[in-house]
Amino acid sequence: MLRGYSRYGDLVRMLVVKEFKVRYRNSALGFLWSLLNPLAMMVILTIFYTFVFYSSSIANYPVFVLPALLAWRFFAIGTSSSLDAIAGNSALVTKVYFPRILLVLSGSLANALGSTLEFVALLPLMVVLGLRLTAFSALLPIILVLEFILIFGLSLLLSSVSVFYRDFNQIWEIFLQAGFFLSPIFYSQDLIPSGLLTVYSINPVERIVVATRQVLYYGGPPTGLDFAAIALSAVVFLGLGLLAFRHFDGRFGDLV
Amino acid sequence: MTQSEVVIRVEGLGKKFRIPHQKRNSVFESIANALQVFEAERFSYEEFWALEDVTFSVGEGESLGVIGSNGSGKSTLLKVLAGIIRPTTGSVEVKGKSAPILGLGVGFHPDLTAKDNIRMYGSIMGLGREEVRSKVQPILEFAGLEKFGDAKLRNLSSGMQLRLAFAVAVETRPDLFFIDEALAVGDLDFQAKCIDKFREFREEGRTLVLVTQSMDQVKTFCDQAIHLAHGKVMKAGSPEAVINDYLSGRNN
Repeated sequence: MLRGYSRYGDLVRMLVVKEFKVRYRNSALGFLWSLLNPLAMMVILTIFYTFVFYSSSIANYPVFVLPALLAWRFFAIGTSSSLDAIAGNSALVTKVYFPRILLVLSGSLANALGSTLEFVALLPLMVVLGLRLTAFSALLPIILVLEFILIFGLSLLLSSVSVFYRDFNQIWEIFLQAGFFLSPIFYSQDLIPSGLLTVYSINPVERIVVATRQVLYYGGPPTGLDFAAIALSAVVFLGLGLLAFRHFDGRFGDLV
Repeated sequence: MTQSEVVIRVEGLGKKFRIPHQKRNSVFESIANALQVFEAERFSYEEFWALEDVTFSVGEGESLGVIGSNGSGKSTLLKVLAGIIRPTTGSVEVKGKSAPILGLGVGFHPDLTAKDNIRMYGSIMGLGREEVRSKVQPILEFAGLEKFGDAKLRNLSSGMQLRLAFAVAVETRPDLFFIDEALAVGDLDFQAKCIDKFREFREEGRTLVLVTQSMDQVKTFCDQAIHLAHGKVMKAGSPEAVINDYLSGRNN
């Protein structure tokens, strides 16, 4: 489906830049603002963990929680902004024709760029806070690429669905809220009873969070099973997304 | 008809829309609707054929005028030609790069500046980065918007947006133009400029499909015309004959 689109390379680049400009309101300050959210969350969760749970079983909690938060934000912002990729771009969908998958792709790429910048900007802070970079930290980009493929596939599904159901963003928000608590972001997955672990880790984001934490916080290799599960879910959702998008593409012009 | 190569071929084209009795496009409404199993208020819609069995062809370098009253399917026809919506029945074949100007805009983003919009549209039309860059200034000049290059599109008046849309579509040098009643918004000076451009297109052998309410424009620019009413072709042929058919139909 993406073959033969090479002449659209410039367009994708333009759309990514557009997305970026609109998202960060044309200013570098806009990006700094976006760093404030994960930092605030890190501080809040650390206070909560230290003084409310009154626990210290997790060493260096800020560094434990921040990479997981960033991996989660990548997923949450990527999928929720994709809901508007087609429905919210009516001028581009109803006034001119080009392959509409490029709208979804460029949205996902802009989000991936934003998340990469967040990791790059906050990694020095993590090192200052006590993160030790190891050879396994170099696996992070691979995890993020797989996460990107998962997000892109889901985005193709979500952007199609929300053309037909404009209030789907409300429903997706509930999913995301549940996902935040059902992924081991502010707690360790050791808390999950082993009998439930199989069900618990059906959620592909759970695996992504665990793998990200593994390579950054623990400085070790992610398990082969985690890697395989992440890769498999990425490929499956990409396939489903492409099929759904191709199926509904012909009706976007009528409905947007 | 001339002997030139056919660049637009439309055969048996039909386009069906569903017009819901109640607008329903949310999950909430769908569930609410599904629960009303026995009530008459259940979701229903009417089928509406915006175009029905439309057949025509346009040769390279020809100009086709499309006339008809509001709601007769003219804009739908242009959208199908531009590939924005897909036909329900029949086939549509368009050869070459086409630029549609539908209503006010050509696919602009209100939150981007005029310059950024020019760059984006250029890349939609398949121009390379350098090519787009070299055209930003000429486009702003043609549109008479040199001072507004860095203004966000939402801050431009509708006439200015139209001028920009027209200028950018012209400068990307498409083989076919689809223009939908766009010129009416521009001021007289700009209309004159556009009319000069149309002449130029014709001399260069570009193909034009013009939807308009101005019979003068059809007489001046078009080699052939079609009259649409309720989605059907009432009359096709020379501009004079088609205009007479349209006007006599209105007087009855």
